[in-house]
Amino acid sequence: MKTLSRENLNLWLDGLAAQQSLIAPHLEAQGVFYRPVQRAQEIAWEADRPALSAKEFLFPPSERLLKVEKRGPDIRLEVSPSAAPQAIFGLRPCDARGIRVMDAAFLETPPIDSQYASRRENTLLLGLACRSMGASCFCTIMGLAPDDPRDMDVMFTDRGPTLAVQALTPRGEALLAGLPIVEEPGEVEPASRREVGGLPTAEAWKESFGDARWAKHGERCLSCRLCAYVCPTCRCYDVRDEALPSPPGEAHFERLRAWDSCTREGYRLTAGGHNPRAAAGSRLRNRLLCKFVYYPHQYGPAACTGCGRCLDACPVNLDLLEIGGALQEAAQ
Amino acid sequence: MSTADGADPMYPLLGRLVSSRDMGREIKLLGVKLLNGTQPPFPAYAPGQFAFLSAFGIGEAPFGLASTTERGEVLEFAVQRLGSVTTGLHELAEGDALGVRGPLGNTFPMEAFQHKNLLVLGGGIGGAPLRPVIHSVLDHRQDYGQLTILWAARHPSLLIFRDEYESWRAAPHTELHLTVDEADAAWDHHVGLMTDLVRQVAPSAANTVAITCGPPIMIYHVDKLLSELGFAPEQRYVTLEARMHCGLGKCGRCNMGELLVCRDGPVFSMAQVGNFLESYL
Ligand SMILES: Cc1cc2nc3c(=O)[nH]c(=O)nc-3n(C[C@H](O)[C@H](O)[C@H](O)COP(=O)(O)OP(=O)(O)OC[C@H]3O[C@@H](n4cnc5c(N)ncnc54)[C@H](O)[C@@H]3O)c2cc1C
Ligand code: SF4
Ligand code: SF4
Repeated sequence: MKTLSRENLNLWLDGLAAQQSLIAPHLEAQGVFYRPVQRAQEIAWEADRPALSAKEFLFPPSERLLKVEKRGPDIRLEVSPSAAPQAIFGLRPCDARGIRVMDAAFLETPPIDSQYASRRENTLLLGLACRSMGASCFCTIMGLAPDDPRDMDVMFTDRGPTLAVQALTPRGEALLAGLPIVEEPGEVEPASRREVGGLPTAEAWKESFGDARWAKHGERCLSCRLCAYVCPTCRCYDVRDEALPSPPGEAHFERLRAWDSCTREGYRLTAGGHNPRAAAGSRLRNRLLCKFVYYPHQYGPAACTGCGRCLDACPVNLDLLEIGGALQEAAQ
Repeated sequence: MSTADGADPMYPLLGRLVSSRDMGREIKLLGVKLLNGTQPPFPAYAPGQFAFLSAFGIGEAPFGLASTTERGEVLEFAVQRLGSVTTGLHELAEGDALGVRGPLGNTFPMEAFQHKNLLVLGGGIGGAPLRPVIHSVLDHRQDYGQLTILWAARHPSLLIFRDEYESWRAAPHTELHLTVDEADAAWDHHVGLMTDLVRQVAPSAANTVAITCGPPIMIYHVDKLLSELGFAPEQRYVTLEARMHCGLGKCGRCNMGELLVCRDGPVFSMAQVGNFLESYL
């Protein structure tokens, strides 16, 4: 195994932060979040996976698609500049997978989303293995592991005074070149895993479409959208124009896209008042079937990484594992 | 987002409104030409496709392309005023600039329709994306069998393309049947729902393809009726509408089960839609 001393890693991270935006787990009043940090010292090392995913650094809650300037009869459109380089350090396997899941829709399915592509090309994924699975984590059901390196550029495993390091992409290799990396005998110890239940197959999820329990869950769901906003893979968006301050005789606007969620009541409301998903249960069903049936059908991967955040976030304890577990039992 | 040629498909092309004509109550037929020198030009498009129109500063919304590439370079859209963007588009004056993004979505399989009888059922503004089908058949009349158009609206003032009915009727092997839910004094055609008209016309399913577009509730009931009349799911086409914000299979909004209306549609055969029409309703 290749290792790097903590001291050298910190020096290297400090250098990285001086060159580009460095994002890492950071302790805030409300918990640990991925945040821009200036120095390695600011990183929260001991924490479980951060409370929110790293989605916002590739797909921000709100971003400009274009700027529109009207001058009398003339209109000028301006596209957004390309993204600045950034590195996400301490990225957990579930959150790296979340990014890979977004890649499937935004990059790998044509046409390419240029704004996402620009951020993605300029983002380094520097993983840190989880020591164990958190209380609501179920990444293992989703085919991941707490120390899964597959979706990273570089994977680090904390071993106390030293960290095991593994480059997984040419970009990762290039990044590590020149670092005082030591070859040590032995293998990296695997992270501990916890027994977690199971989830239905895609087929069983699909067959649950007419299940009466969706309406029951709908009676509880507040349509608050928290589950989607904390989710590393929920990527639905809204597009709208907003006015900007403009010089006299001109009118300036920006076209924005902003996160939205299919659990929101008016999500599918069309002009004229028709709403094909007026019932909360049908919206909740759509979110979960999207994860396990629709998204895989359209883009390839399942849109759940097992991060467990929606379980933690839901104010009325609608729990994906519980809902799925009950369906799975019924299917057997 | 970028395509192979590097153009960003979320980035609208600039166009000018060359005509804006009242077609019915709160319904305008807009003619749009891209600004000279716009690169790339608006690509050739086919019946069934749609485009997003931008009323800059207000927003953009999807509309069926109501014209055909064959009949000229002006892009035509029948726009019913229902909310913010449609109001913004209605308020544009001839000569004003607007944005166009498209063509998007799939097309009617016009080649597969050749030598078949076509039953075209349009309800209200839902007739807009069917006009290119009608025009294509009329412009290549010998390639298709009988054309039966069933055209409905809530009220005569909401019927679209009224000034074309004569030319439709005059074409060989072409019939037009009209109905409104509620007539006015001048009305001398059928009164009643589209389903009543279908029952009255009683179309034969033999070698026939039915194409329906209209309000969801109309599509649902007409489709059921056509099925009862012997039209197999493969003979029943619908063009669906769903709220959408990109038209490119990204924004996630328009799914109907595992299908995306923007990318897999908006044209579907009922063999594809199956039970999911329920979730669309
Ligand atoms: C494929 C397709 C083809 C269509 N063809 C036509 C047509 O030929 N003629 C016509 O008059 N209308 C058509 N529509 C419906 C038209 O898009 C809506 O009437 C329009 O979006 C309403 O926008 P608004 O801003 O005026 O309404 P608001 O209620 O103010 O809506 C705000 C925003 O919501 C979205 N939205 C609302 N309703 C719809 C909807 N039904 N579909 C998609 N997005 C919606 C739009 O982004 C809109 O800008 C079509 C819709 C689709 C999906
Ligand atoms: S659905 Fe829930 S558990 Fe799965 S990735 Fe999203 S937030 Fe995490
Ligand atoms: S967090 Fe819970 S209550 Fe809120 S929308 Fe999601 S499932 Fe419904």
